Amino acid sequence: MAEGIITHLGGMLENKEISCTELTEKYISAIDSANGDLNAYVKVTPDEALAAAKTVDEKIAKGEKLDPLEGIPMTLKDNISTKGIETTCCSKILEGYKPIYDATVWSALKAKNAVLLGKTNMDEFAMGSSCETSYFGGAANPHDITRVAGGSSGGVASAVGGNIAAYGLGSDTGGSIRQPASFCGIVGLKPTYGAVSRFGLIAYASSFDQIGPVTTTVEDAAIVYDAISGYDKMDSTSQGRKGEPTVASLKNDIKGMKIGIADEYLDGVSDEIRTAIEKACSVYESLGAQIVRFKLPSLKYALPVYYILACAEASSNLGRYDGIRYGYRTSNYKDINEMVCKTRSEGFGAEVKRRILLGTYVLSAGYYDAYYKKAQNLRGSIVSAFKNAFGSCDVILAPTVPNTAFKKGSAISDPIQTYLTDICTVPVNIAGLPGISIPCGFDGEGMPIGMQLIGDTFCESTILNAAWQYENAVGAEVFRSSSYGVKL
Amino acid sequence: MVTRDDVINIARLSKLYIAEEELDDMTKAMGDIVKFADTINNASEEGVEFDNINNLRNAFREDEIVPSYDRDEILKNANDIDEGHFLVRKRV
Repeated sequence: MAEGIITHLGGMLENKEISCTELTEKYISAIDSANGDLNAYVKVTPDEALAAAKTVDEKIAKGEKLDPLEGIPMTLKDNISTKGIETTCCSKILEGYKPIYDATVWSALKAKNAVLLGKTNMDEFAMGSSCETSYFGGAANPHDITRVAGGSSGGVASAVGGNIAAYGLGSDTGGSIRQPASFCGIVGLKPTYGAVSRFGLIAYASSFDQIGPVTTTVEDAAIVYDAISGYDKMDSTSQGRKGEPTVASLKNDIKGMKIGIADEYLDGVSDEIRTAIEKACSVYESLGAQIVRFKLPSLKYALPVYYILACAEASSNLGRYDGIRYGYRTSNYKDINEMVCKTRSEGFGAEVKRRILLGTYVLSAGYYDAYYKKAQNLRGSIVSAFKNAFGSCDVILAPTVPNTAFKKGSAISDPIQTYLTDICTVPVNIAGLPGISIPCGFDGEGMPIGMQLIGDTFCESTILNAAWQYENAVGAEVFRSSSYGVKL
Repeated sequence: MVTRDDVINIARLSKLYIAEEELDDMTKAMGDIVKFADTINNASEEGVEFDNINNLRNAFREDEIVPSYDRDEILKNANDIDEGHFLVRKRV
């Protein structure tokens, strides 16, 4: 796809082909028609959207120059705090909760007059890979509504894939941006840990969580990443973006770039996806890049390491939900302990309870050394293995998911089977690296296949450059619009 | 091997009630997940000491007094409040 929706709409506003109010109304009306099928939005905010659009129209009328994101209708995952707008993490326990502050990423976009259409669906507390653990039911895939949109940022991916939002922000703890982007045939970027502020992101696993863009093209992802990355004193792990805006180097030549393929990423991957990855290698070779093959044996422990550590952090982070200060509270109790226990038991869904229990188990006396400490040390091994790998290559190419979008209801019953779909995405979060998923083909049933480009820490420019070059070379071959959304 | 008693104990520590009729399913699910987690104990390597990600250092700032959030705004999210405090009513 030559032009992204953000750049296209920006051009239309600039040339006065459409007013921002008309554009926003088009998106609101498209949400009305499509959301019954897609269930992408859990809350639509037309008043806020139209108010922002009016401000943009006033600027246009005065002849002022617009920022690339100004007036572009977008969405936020429902775990990103929006002052005065209900933010539930798609959990009953946060029913009615209205944050009293904005997440830093939302403040940054609001300052650019971004038009917030609403909050999008997700697995409850971002715990899931199909969006089906949401208290509001799962989001559907815009390419086939009998299939899942993926998770946990399923709502954002469904909305962007179905063009009922021009772009969105998701969060990625173990693949929650990249996997749904892959399932819905769009682009999802998980930035380096520390590049984007987590202030106002409701925590799941704090040493893994990272906010990032979900867009239709690589250029759009770079524009949004440049706008949301930066140092924030409100996040003690913030480091900000290192170097120039990524948009500047997007179209650089990649002759001589070393693209690494680790065999372990291709184990257990479907034949169609393996073929798509091999084809992508040929595209890169034709662009002058060099393919380097190597091994990453410690990857075989990535999944259990991830689930042990993420659940341990979750069990601690979710300790705050007690029904006293915000959210749901049980109506019937004898004493404070019973109130807290009943509130939590009635407010959390089954998957959240499972992860809290596992986290508490691995942190409890007698199991701490065997699970938590061992997993932390193996995390150290995985970090070192990636560091070594980036000694011999600039970018690692891998599948995003071992399979394409599955049928609704097929994964939810077996937690382990669901966890296995995260095999290709969790290593990036374990090592705090940046990773992007971009479309690279379709399976026999017409469902999108995604591939992942992984970079060394703070090398977003390199992976976005490699991703843009691939996208530019293959063009429309890997992108297909769904039947939903705004037609431009 | 995770037993029903393990699940009851862990649930107590997690401040969760697991209903009697859910206990068998939860014990099985926990058993499967712990078995899956156990694969790390097959690793021959001990691993590398890991204490933070991307060599992060705490970002310290000056301890300056700045305006914070409005108390009444914060209390709007609570179920029950009284004279500027969160309230948990005594029930019998």
